[in-house]
Amino acid sequence: MNAKKQTNEVAAYKPHSWQTALEFRAMWAVLALGIVLPFLVSKPLATEIMIYALFALAFNLLLGHTGMISFGHAGYLGVGSYAGAMVVFYGGVGVWVSLLAAMAGGALVAAVVGLLAVKRKGAYFAMISLAIAQMLYFLALSPFKRWTEGEDSLKLPPLSVDFPFHLNLSDQTQLYFFVFVIVALAVLAQWRLLNSPFGHALKGIRENEDRIRACGFNITRIKFLSIIYSGLFSGLAGGLLAIYLGAASVTTLFWMTSGVVVMQTVLGGTHTFMGPFIGTMVFLYLRNNISNYTDRWEMWVGAMFMALILLFPEGIWGTVMQKIGERRRPSAS
Amino acid sequence: MELSWEIILMQVIMGLALGAIYVLLASGLSIIFGLLDVLNFAHGTFYMLGAYATFVAISLCGNFWVGIIAAVVIVSLIGALFEMTLLKRLYGTDQIYPLLMCFGLSIFLPDIIKMIFGLVGKVVDYPSLLQGATFVDNLILPKYRIFLVVLMAVVLLALYLFMKKTSIGMIIRAATRDRLMVNCLGINVSRVWTVGFMLGVGLAALAGAVAAPMVQTIPNMGDEMTIEAFVVVVIGGLGSLGGAALGGLILGQVVSFVSLLAPDWSNVSIFLTMALILVLRPRGLFGEEGRD
Repeated sequence: MNAKKQTNEVAAYKPHSWQTALEFRAMWAVLALGIVLPFLVSKPLATEIMIYALFALAFNLLLGHTGMISFGHAGYLGVGSYAGAMVVFYGGVGVWVSLLAAMAGGALVAAVVGLLAVKRKGAYFAMISLAIAQMLYFLALSPFKRWTEGEDSLKLPPLSVDFPFHLNLSDQTQLYFFVFVIVALAVLAQWRLLNSPFGHALKGIRENEDRIRACGFNITRIKFLSIIYSGLFSGLAGGLLAIYLGAASVTTLFWMTSGVVVMQTVLGGTHTFMGPFIGTMVFLYLRNNISNYTDRWEMWVGAMFMALILLFPEGIWGTVMQKIGERRRPSAS
Repeated sequence: MELSWEIILMQVIMGLALGAIYVLLASGLSIIFGLLDVLNFAHGTFYMLGAYATFVAISLCGNFWVGIIAAVVIVSLIGALFEMTLLKRLYGTDQIYPLLMCFGLSIFLPDIIKMIFGLVGKVVDYPSLLQGATFVDNLILPKYRIFLVVLMAVVLLALYLFMKKTSIGMIIRAATRDRLMVNCLGINVSRVWTVGFMLGVGLAALAGAVAAPMVQTIPNMGDEMTIEAFVVVVIGGLGSLGGAALGGLILGQVVSFVSLLAPDWSNVSIFLTMALILVLRPRGLFGEEGRD
């Protein structure tokens, strides 16, 4: 066991200040790309990319930054989606309240997962989070059908925003920029979070949990909070998804949603900040194009994913950063 | 609904049969995790392969029993191939990479099966010997379900004897405890891992093979089973065979009775049971203290 732990430490990605600087520039570059994205690809695809990118970043808060493997993020996204849609459908409230409800819904599920599983590591956390998400899927599918409409999905009326200025969310362009601004703010918030003392404590837990505990940190509390933050941002993504789809759908809660966000995140690079965002863009762009040519999307994505794990486990952006690091090293030392 | 004791007994037998499938599946998962530290996300996929291999073997040779044995052998070999070519390269890295490799396989393989066999389910008939039911007084005892329970008992006993009495079983137990030490003793641990993975996958295939006549054999039949096997091992304690057995039997009863009393909740009940166990006994029924 000990020898294995040591190899883990050697293999782990060690952040340096130049990496933070590079990530910071990459974040602004990607957000700038976001402004022109709806003119490069179709507007629905661009909107979808933004929402799922936020979801992937929130997911990576746990996987990449705290080092916990969650396979239950469909639960946060889906419950966020339903919470956001239900307050509109049954409560008749506005879009902003709906998004707050979505965040609360995501955080609530995260709190349940946290209470049950925060002390479990690795495989156990993966299994328990997956099981809870799947339970929520079945709950929404049949026992709670009266409220969720089950497989028919809960459909929303056309929505608009009046504050701070009027936006018609049925219009694809206005919807995109509404989503984009919220996602951009959430990305900046996550950047702040990860570069705060709390964020450094998360990275410390990932690198060496025992040492952080010896430093006097309350590991359980920090992990629990990181699960809550992850649920909060995932819930927000779920709320945006409900607005974008005009419905809260039970497939959002299905385990495949958790699987897809894992693939998007690993594709971009888990040990980076912007990796999940970049991974989501590439993943959704590819899916959109490959499914034009073949029905065998799952076969291709499964094969490509296995190849990725073998050849580039650090993902696209992680590998780029590694290569830059290798080029820097001779001059730096 | 009037709950006579005949209905209750019937439900217990149904639950035992379902539990038997869970036990076979989860003990394989548990062996793989204990030995290789790999959470086999493709466990349900191998279960599905087992069912399809049975279908193919039976349509070729016509005999149910030959079909089941052929299915287990074929799927074990596929598992060994996967372990030796892809999974083995990832040992010693972060625990997540082998897990993700298995996950990739669980996306990849069902689509291949879809391509070969189509979306429509395949039917595997009950063996003629085990069709219908026997009657004791006015009790209906479906033969196939009884067979499943007996099979599970036999397999568990064989597994127990294999682990305790044979030298390879001893090596597997030792490698589960301390792989480095076993390696130092001059044993090729790499080969032991392959054997352990084959054993675990073989159990999943056996579960799929014997489940095939009862359920619809479709390409995605394994996805749910992966998650349910996870629930069983969380309940029983990961890495413990006794835990997998008890967890599987409990879950079988829970599903069987909830589907009778509140069908809407049958899928949910599995996970509620798990949540309850986690609250009452976080390490699982037979889980070792401190093993995550």
